[in-house]
Amino acid sequence: MAVTRRTVDDGSAFEHPLYKTLLNTPGLSVSVAPLDDLLTWGLTNSLWVFPMATSCCGIELMAAAAGRVDLDRMGTIVRGTPRQADVMVVAGTITVKMAPRVKLLWDQMPEPKWCIAMGSCAISGDFYRELYSVVPGVDTFLPVDVYVPGCPPNPEALMHGLLRLQEKVQLQRQGQKVVRDPNPALLAITKPSVPRLCDADRTAEMDAAQEESAATSTASEPRAPLHFDTPAAQAVDPDLQRLFAENGVKDFPREGPALVPAAQHLALARKLKAQGFRQLVSIVASHWPAGRGRKGADAEEPEHFEVAYLVRSVGSGTRVATWAVRLAPGESIASLVPVYAGADWQEREQYDLVGVPFADHPDLRRLMMAENYSGHPLRRDFAADTAAAPWR
Amino acid sequence: MQVQTITRRVDPHLAIDLYDPEAELLLLHFGPQHPSTHGVFRMDLYLDGEIVVKVVPYVGYLHRAVEKLCEKLTYAQITPVVDKNDYVAPMTNEQAINMAFEALLGIEVPRRARWIRTIFAEMQRIASHLLWLGTFALDMGGALGGGSTVFLHCFRERELILDLFEDVTGARFHYNTHTVGGNRHDIPAGWSAKVKAALDVIASRLPEYASMTLENRIFIERTRGVGILDGELALELGVTGPILRASGVDHDLRRDAPFHAYDEVKVNVVTRSAGDCLARAQVRLGEIEESIRLVRAMIDGIPEGIINAGRPIKQPAQFKIPAGQVYVGIETPRGELGTYVIADGTANAHRLKIRPPSLHALSALPHILPGATVSDAVVILGSLDPIMGEADR
Repeated sequence: MAVTRRTVDDGSAFEHPLYKTLLNTPGLSVSVAPLDDLLTWGLTNSLWVFPMATSCCGIELMAAAAGRVDLDRMGTIVRGTPRQADVMVVAGTITVKMAPRVKLLWDQMPEPKWCIAMGSCAISGDFYRELYSVVPGVDTFLPVDVYVPGCPPNPEALMHGLLRLQEKVQLQRQGQKVVRDPNPALLAITKPSVPRLCDADRTAEMDAAQEESAATSTASEPRAPLHFDTPAAQAVDPDLQRLFAENGVKDFPREGPALVPAAQHLALARKLKAQGFRQLVSIVASHWPAGRGRKGADAEEPEHFEVAYLVRSVGSGTRVATWAVRLAPGESIASLVPVYAGADWQEREQYDLVGVPFADHPDLRRLMMAENYSGHPLRRDFAADTAAAPWR
Repeated sequence: MQVQTITRRVDPHLAIDLYDPEAELLLLHFGPQHPSTHGVFRMDLYLDGEIVVKVVPYVGYLHRAVEKLCEKLTYAQITPVVDKNDYVAPMTNEQAINMAFEALLGIEVPRRARWIRTIFAEMQRIASHLLWLGTFALDMGGALGGGSTVFLHCFRERELILDLFEDVTGARFHYNTHTVGGNRHDIPAGWSAKVKAALDVIASRLPEYASMTLENRIFIERTRGVGILDGELALELGVTGPILRASGVDHDLRRDAPFHAYDEVKVNVVTRSAGDCLARAQVRLGEIEESIRLVRAMIDGIPEGIINAGRPIKQPAQFKIPAGQVYVGIETPRGELGTYVIADGTANAHRLKIRPPSLHALSALPHILPGATVSDAVVILGSLDPIMGEADR
């Protein structure tokens, strides 16, 4: 058997302290090669995984660790701490808010360490790639060794990825140069800057195709099925009509919820709650740039905001009561927290994403975006692919 | 600090400076990466000894800008995007969003499609609750024989349901099988028999789960009286689903505002009045049983006919929705998943808001955690069954 002498000076080789000691012990160096094989065998068959699981792929990672696929039989045990792990499996979308944490956890893992990007979000950001809050692939800040494509990849695919990683570790141990850093040439091929699907420039042909498909689609005149909470359904509900009328609302438009003056909306909420609408369903704020209104394009409409409130009665025959308040830019609206405790987070979210200020809110901070973020992403004039430094 | 009683309300915005100045408080950062946070959720716990005094939750670590993306995509492109929101129950995500578009367009879904949707929804509920039970047992850790026993059992049974969905749609999850007006995939021949066989297996193992959890003394000790949520507060917070029903509120949209084919079957709503973690576990396990009963009752009676209002089963790449607004809420395994759509007459929504049950469930934490111990914090968080993909969107 031809014994090849391996040196620890090779940058790509594995520097285990035991290995180094043995190699430097006089008279022992001859026996290192078989020992090295033994160490390689042990290393490749005990790749412990740190699950950087954020979303859907994390569920498949769990399924891979469970009974049917059973990663344990490959020596791959899932560890909850980075300090005991060899492989970080990034399973799921990494957002701008999460990325510094991922980097921190990666730095906490002891060498030697490897990284598997599991699923298309971790690989490239998937269809969230061009959005303001998502990192377009973890290889923008981590040295990824193996990419496991899929959305999400099957447990079997993850297993295949781990087997490929074992091969790679073996090659590295044998002193073969294996590229670990993202190769710019490779990236240019695998990640072309394609025209964006969602922001594609409109052409006349596209509009014509859209008209045609709309004409042949199943679309018909709007009518309100009984069990859907449309404004039209609300308009024919006598109980709701009476409640709203008591608060000065007489107009029930078909194209949106009844508009309530900002001064009266808190009183209306209290009254509805007393009348059995005890559950807060949701608060939806929307931004309307100048020239757009409820009925579509409308040149006379100035820029404004609408905040819709949805509350529900409980039990048999449950209904949703909806009302909306129209606000000019800069105007604030009274917080609903004194009436419904759940308005706390809902209003924080709408303040964060749409930028509607809620007066007298006990704790009006951003909910989704980082606290030092500026801008309100769900405004219509906010471009979806607004750069999220430093990731692009 | 006394353990909170059911009638006493906690101030979630307690100014921590006002707390006992003699106490030596410890600030514990929990998450966003922690095996027990069920994803990327973070909370700061202010501790007096081992007792939680105040909790400040942080969400948004998985904010994927889904609502912005939905404004950019056409209506037909949205379905596979919302699949990823609640990644433990993708079927119900698709149903919620497509039902909103159907309501705006006034499309009547064929009866066969409604039955198939109901069966999918109920099977998804079984799979989702099984996953919850498995991860909840993991949260309990060593107390339940390493915790992973229940986890492995639950995942074994969950695979049966995923296999059945794979038969129909070709995907383990993220199915993209619902369209506006009906379904994309009809059920294949022989599928009903497979469903019944799988349900028999799951039903035969339910007593096993009960013996490992609900009848396990350690499980009971760790969950009984822990994380009590008062029903009235739950309603105000918008908490829905099994958590609300465990707090004694008899409210289930499947029965109270029937959608799909729920008006043709009788849904027995499982409720408990204790409002603690044990009650939530009892409700979810009861719902698995009820879902099995529903699917068994429906699987042989699926009506013949078309599965999509558009004939042939084909959805245009783009279609316009007339200007209008609608809210549609359906009962998913986690509660009321709602979609509020503002259409402006074009092929894209002006604003699309998804009402996530998980976010509302998490908003209960500042109210129910104070007074509990650190080890209970993990159990209480697990009992809320949060899915961060849905909470953060």
